[in-house]
Amino acid sequence: MPLDAMKDISDDALLVLFANGDRAAARALTLRLTPRVLAHAQRLLGNAAEAEDVAQEAMLRLWKVAPDWRQGDAKVTTWLYRVVANLCTDRLRKARPLPLDAAPEPLDTAQGADAALQGAARVDALQKALVRLPRRQRQAVVLRHLEDLGNPEIAGIMEISVEAVESLLTRGRRALAAELAGRRAELGFADEHE
Amino acid sequence: MNDDDITALKAHFEAARSHAARPSEALLARVLADAMQIQEEQAETPAPQGRAPAHEAGFWRQVFQGLGGWPALTGLATATVVGIWIGASPPSGLEGYLAEGEAAFVVDLDPWDAFDLASVIEGAM
Repeated sequence: MPLDAMKDISDDALLVLFANGDRAAARALTLRLTPRVLAHAQRLLGNAAEAEDVAQEAMLRLWKVAPDWRQGDAKVTTWLYRVVANLCTDRLRKARPLPLDAAPEPLDTAQGADAALQGAARVDALQKALVRLPRRQRQAVVLRHLEDLGNPEIAGIMEISVEAVESLLTRGRRALAAELAGRRAELGFADEHE
Repeated sequence: MNDDDITALKAHFEAARSHAARPSEALLARVLADAMQIQEEQAETPAPQGRAPAHEAGFWRQVFQGLGGWPALTGLATATVVGIWIGASPPSGLEGYLAEGEAAFVVDLDPWDAFDLASVIEGAM
């Protein structure tokens, strides 16, 4: 079956096709889900190489669980976000904290930087602030504001109440704002008010 | 948080959403290779069968399952032991029902209900 014909098929239906040996379903799921899994891992870890390993491992677990997958039980993406978070937590526990001078240098946007460079600098600053957040706050903020999920779905992924998600988000946003406040001029926010 | 904080955070989130990491061709190839390998392994391994049907199970297993498994068997065993004990050493309340020289035993028909007492006069069996 061509990939185009699969764009309207749900993730869990594709997973059933995969379990039945459909190679086109394997390709469709790879192309559809790997980008989301990788982006989520990178946002939680702040490390591209480790995020790739996590993405591959999470997808491998999906392939292995396919024969036992029961359609309608859970969203495939919900399951994947949970697996990615667990894999990232394991890695963060094992990893030694990086010394501050090992972190990449912030991009210099002080003089005549164009919008693209400024955007990249903001991403870089946000990522550095994110990795300083407590793990659960980071996960909630990433799921809400970067993966664009609703609070009930986040609650399902994190296996906590919606109220607990809201609390994590409030504390996470406050901590991020405090972390980033000192770099506003450097990141071009002063210009936007003039 | 003040309005400036919120405005700045929104700009950061928007920038991060539009700069999401994209998988390299090499990563996609590795993920797809894993998928193909798992598919082949799963095709070679026969799907796990459900519980063996009763007619394929052994005689004692059929008896065991027919009785209701361990929960039912546990209740049955307890009731049997209690019945034997009452028969061997009847409580004083039962003595009025039994004439001298009569053999007595307790028949436990329902472990969840009261005991039924049967008194059999010796020689009537």
